[in-house]
Amino acid sequence: MGGDLGSRVAVLLEREPWVGQLAGVDIDPPRRRLHRASFELVTATDHDRIVDIVTTFDPHIVVHIAVWEPFSRANPDKARQLTDDAATSILGAAAECPSLESIIVRSGVEIYGRARGSPTRPDEDATVDPTSDYGRMLAGVETTAAAIARRVGVTFGAIRMGTVLGPHVPSPLGRMLRMPAVPFSVLADPPFAVVEDIEVARAFVAAAERRLAQPVNVVANGAITALQAARRGRRIPIPLVGPDWEIARRISGLFGAPIPDHVIEAMHRGRLADNARMEELVGFRPTTSTVEVVDKLYEWPTVVRIPAREEVA
Amino acid sequence: MSDDTYEARVITLPVERATTAARQTAATAAARQVAAVGAWSVDDWGRDPYLVDATIRLGALRWRTVVGGAERLPVRAGALIVVNARRYALTPIFTALALTQATDRPVRFVGRPDIAPVGPFVRRLGGLLDRPDEVAGALRAGELVVMGAHPELHPRRVGRVDHRLVGAAVATQVAVFPAATASSPLSRSARVEVGAVARPGRRRRGPLIELELADAVEERIQRLLDQLGGAQTGTPLDWLPLSGMGGG
Repeated sequence: MGGDLGSRVAVLLEREPWVGQLAGVDIDPPRRRLHRASFELVTATDHDRIVDIVTTFDPHIVVHIAVWEPFSRANPDKARQLTDDAATSILGAAAECPSLESIIVRSGVEIYGRARGSPTRPDEDATVDPTSDYGRMLAGVETTAAAIARRVGVTFGAIRMGTVLGPHVPSPLGRMLRMPAVPFSVLADPPFAVVEDIEVARAFVAAAERRLAQPVNVVANGAITALQAARRGRRIPIPLVGPDWEIARRISGLFGAPIPDHVIEAMHRGRLADNARMEELVGFRPTTSTVEVVDKLYEWPTVVRIPAREEVA
Repeated sequence: MSDDTYEARVITLPVERATTAARQTAATAAARQVAAVGAWSVDDWGRDPYLVDATIRLGALRWRTVVGGAERLPVRAGALIVVNARRYALTPIFTALALTQATDRPVRFVGRPDIAPVGPFVRRLGGLLDRPDEVAGALRAGELVVMGAHPELHPRRVGRVDHRLVGAAVATQVAVFPAATASSPLSRSARVEVGAVARPGRRRRGPLIELELADAVEERIQRLLDQLGGAQTGTPLDWLPLSGMGGG
C-alpha cells in the first residue's frame, strides 16, 4: 500500500461495495488519502509482526503487490531481498488465516523471458523461462504463492503486467525514455508494450473480485520501439551496437537513470505479451494503447525541486 | 519574507529552457533523418506497415503479381494460408506481400529467424517464428498467416506441410486455405492462386485431424499447381527446375 501502485489499488478497493474491511502493510506509508483502509508500517523482515497483523485481520483475499522492480526504488540486490522477504512474510502469514479464499499476486511479462526462439507475444500458457533478474524474482513470487495456495486449498491468480508507466510510478524504462537522449539498438530496435498504472490497478481489483485462479497478461494494446518513442518524445535517438550498451548503461546511471538488465533485454529482444484473455479473466481491455501511454509519459511534468523560501528549523 | 522571483524560478529555469530547446532542435534534426527511412511505427506483432508498403513497391519493379481467389479469404477473421515453396525463394514472404496488397489486410508469414539483424527486419515485414503457439496466437487474434510447405527444388511440386502449424489452425478453429504460387524466370509475371478452404476428410476428435488436414492441404496445393500449368519457354530450359516464385 506504500508504493504508488499499491495506494492506487487500495483507493479503488475502498470504492468497491463488495469490500468489507481493508488492511494494508508496507515499508512506506500510503501515497494517497485512504478513508476506510487501515495501514501498518512494517519492515519486510519483521515476520512476527506481519504474521500477527495478517492473522488478526484474517482476510478472505490477499492482494500481494510487494514486488520491487530493480532500479525502480531499490538497487537490484536490495530489490531482490525485499521482494523475497515480503513474499515469504506476507504470503506465509496469509497461509495461517482460516478465512483465506484467494491469493492475487503481482507478476510481470518478464517472467516469460526472451530466450532465443521464445514466442514473440507469449500468452498465459507459454512456458515460464525468465532470462533476467527481475523475471526470476517474479517467478519466485509466483512459485511461492502457488505452493501456498495449493497447500491450504485456495485459489491463486497472478497479474502478469507489462512495464507500468504512470506520472508517479518509479520506472527504470520510463526514466530512460525521458532522458534527453534515448539509446536504441540499431540492429534490432524491437517492439515492446507497456501499460498505464490505472489499468493495472483496475485489473488487481477485478482479479480480487472474481477470485482469479490463473495468470493473466495485463498489457496495453499495440507496441512501440525505443526509436519510435524517442521520436514521439522529441528526444535524441542514440544508435547503439553491442558493447556500446555497457557504456550507455553506466552513463545513464551517472545521470540518475540506471538501466536494469530486464530493460536492456527489452531494448535488444523486445517485450510483448498477448492480452487477448483480459476480457474473459478480468472483464475489460485496456483503453489506452501503448503509444498513447508513451505519449502521456512525455507529457507528465518533470519534478522540479524548489528550495524552501524560508528556513524554519 | 517575500520572494518576487519565486514563480519565475519555478516556471522558467533558464538552464533547463536552454537545454530543452537544444535537445528538441537536435531531436527534430535526427527525426528528419530517420523519417526518410520510415515512420517506424509497429503493430502488436512488430510489423511496420510503411516498410511493408516500401517492400511491395520495390518488389513490383521485378514482379507483376496476379492474385486469384483472394475473395475466398475471410474479411475480418483469421485464416492460415499454406503455399508451395521453393528452396531459397522466400515464397511465404512474397505471397504475404501479394496478399497484403490484394486483401488490404496485414498478412503475416511464418519463418522468421530469431537472430539480429535479419530477424528484426523480417519481423517488420510481418514475420512470425516457426512455432505452433506463435501461429496460434496470431490466428486467435484474427490475423491472416501464410506458411510455406517444405521447400522443394522442383517448382511444380509441393513438399510436406508441417502438421504442427496446421494444428494451430485446428486449435484456434480458423479456416485453412491451400495456395499455389508460380512465376517465370524470364518475365515479370508471377501468380498466387488461393484455393477453396480445405477440410479434413472425416471428423476426428484427437490429433489425427491435423495430420489428415495437412495431407489434404498438400494434395489440394498439388492440384492447384497442376491446374496452373508451367511457364513454357519453348527451349530446353523447360526441362530444368528454373521457374517458380523468386526462382529466376
